[in-house]
Amino acid sequence: MEIDWGLFGELFVRTFSFWWVILPAILLGLIVGAIPGFSAANTIIILLPMTLAMEPEIGLIFMVALYASSRMGAGIPAILVNIPGTAGAAATPLDGYPMTKQGRAQQALAISFVASVFGGLLTTLIALVAMPWLSQVAYHLHSVEMIVIMLFGISLIATIAAKDTLKGLIAGFFGLMIGYIGADVVYETPRGTFGFLELYDKVPLIPALVGLFAVSEAFAVIEGESILTKRGMAAMQKAGWKETWEGVTLAISRWWHIIWTSIIGLIIGIVPGAGAAIASFVAYQQSKTFSKTPELYGTGHLDGLVAPESANNGVTSGTLIPLLVIGVPGGATAAIMAVVLQYHGVTVGPDLFENQPELAFGAFTAMAVTYAIMILTVLPLARYMSRITVVSTVYMAPIIISFTLVGSFVPRAYVFDMYLALAFGVIGYVARKTGYHVAAILIGVILGPLLENYFLRALRISEGDILVIFSSGLGNILWVLLIVSLFVPMYLDKRRTRQREQAVPTTTDC
Amino acid sequence: MADDELNTEDRKPAGPKPLGGELILPISGLLFTIYYFTTIIDVPWTAQVSAFFVGSILIALIIALIIRTSLRVKRGEATLGVAPLFAPKEYIPKRLALLGLTLAYIFFIEWGGFTITTFFFLLFAMLLLSNGKKKGLIFGLSLALSIGGYLLFILAFNTRFPLGPVETLLKDVF
Repeated sequence: MEIDWGLFGELFVRTFSFWWVILPAILLGLIVGAIPGFSAANTIIILLPMTLAMEPEIGLIFMVALYASSRMGAGIPAILVNIPGTAGAAATPLDGYPMTKQGRAQQALAISFVASVFGGLLTTLIALVAMPWLSQVAYHLHSVEMIVIMLFGISLIATIAAKDTLKGLIAGFFGLMIGYIGADVVYETPRGTFGFLELYDKVPLIPALVGLFAVSEAFAVIEGESILTKRGMAAMQKAGWKETWEGVTLAISRWWHIIWTSIIGLIIGIVPGAGAAIASFVAYQQSKTFSKTPELYGTGHLDGLVAPESANNGVTSGTLIPLLVIGVPGGATAAIMAVVLQYHGVTVGPDLFENQPELAFGAFTAMAVTYAIMILTVLPLARYMSRITVVSTVYMAPIIISFTLVGSFVPRAYVFDMYLALAFGVIGYVARKTGYHVAAILIGVILGPLLENYFLRALRISEGDILVIFSSGLGNILWVLLIVSLFVPMYLDKRRTRQREQAVPTTTDC
Repeated sequence: MADDELNTEDRKPAGPKPLGGELILPISGLLFTIYYFTTIIDVPWTAQVSAFFVGSILIALIIALIIRTSLRVKRGEATLGVAPLFAPKEYIPKRLALLGLTLAYIFFIEWGGFTITTFFFLLFAMLLLSNGKKKGLIFGLSLALSIGGYLLFILAFNTRFPLGPVETLLKDVF
């Protein structure tokens, strides 16, 4: 696979000429990304007759543009009303929503848009050039290494709920146990299902997301007239174009943060099945670990918003790499893209770069062009989107409940999933009121089935020998890194506390 | 909003902190884990390891929290009260009524379909939260949102929404 700069240039120019396909795909992607229950994958399935009727190149550009914009769209309700559009945006409200409550929704949206676009654009360009090497990552990760990566994800729980690590861990492990509900993939034995057939296929993620974030939030916000604090309401009423511009400059001033957190997303995106949710939480944790002001995370810290947004957009290009290079889709949307391409007689895999390089590399140029067009179209909307936060909770709460509950019905068409979302809503409400973080429960629900599958595979390969989890060189390096990542934040915390204690007498002396 | 409320709790005069509510999720988790273990007793051990690994850690963490809370209660720093869960008290009836409406919404949507059930849910829920004020605005908003939802999601996107008599009737029209 050689790099042909001339081809890249031609592809960029050619892709720009398809702006009439990209623009509607961006608008559609932003809408479906923002509504819980609607994913890019579902939308592409719904529009399958249309994409199948298009030329393969146009169809691919349309799907890629929809995919990239839906990722950004998912962050909008996460910031404005504390409801992530998809699980990939579950880390976004941690600092995005506190900014909204302070009346800085417009600024938060602008920061999110800039971080998403530059994170997505940068990783797309890296993917385009470094694809031959990046594709090797997936070859080196087997069940054992994946167990450690999943445990990395679990270790994030303690960091997210830093105010009380014990409660954070309980929330996360409770989520993991919920994620274990259903029939296991090897023996197909139903476990913890309470006899519900609808749970045999695991706990569906959308009802969990809708319940924990949206329903519980709706029941909590009715205590106030608006989701904004009094000061936030005053700030919102004065807001003009200046806030958008401030958001843009604040995000650009964090360019280095955008670069490294989006690369985290790119690398995690390459691993099939890992996904944007894990990437955004890993980026959030790393950002907090190396921050000079970690105690401000969760209160509207700008880096806490930049990190998950640039990381989950970094995932977008990452998931296409295993699909195009080795023919293994990195996620649901990539899998559907493969089906559409196969319908047109295009076989994804190494041969694609030899036989149809304009399609293989074209997927990435389409993504880059999408991001470039997206920043121009979405940024002016921040001011108007942020106005939703001044709507009274009298109207907001019932709208959130009805539309998100119906959103949880969409993926499987089971009314049971609406009841399930309500049950998660009750869990989420109790969690909010008693100081447990709903995001920690959600990470557990996401990681539970993944962790279990890798455990099962590893144990079957080793014929039941538990020590298999220490049998890989790369795995052992990851174990060491996991332990380091658990203890470094504790050490840094202690050091900061010590420094603060030492600083107090000095100040008093002065 | 909940965060604000917790802050409000923090600002209350010093006294024993009611921590009973904090035990609700852990105890639910404990009971669920025990139930889960009973459902995996007969499966091969390779399929048990992961659940026992995670479940045992969860049980250990819950025991640690219970011990911590007990010690705080013993020292007089905390009580087993559950007040923060229901605060502010004046919203309890509204919250319970909204929960009842939500349950009714899910129950009836299977038969009534999205459009009509959503209209009635929005109407009653908004009237409940507004204490019966602005009836005209709420009626118009409920109507616009339910019809808008039908047009966008069912008609334009052909999404799998719950269908009922209204959607069936309109299908023949469009």
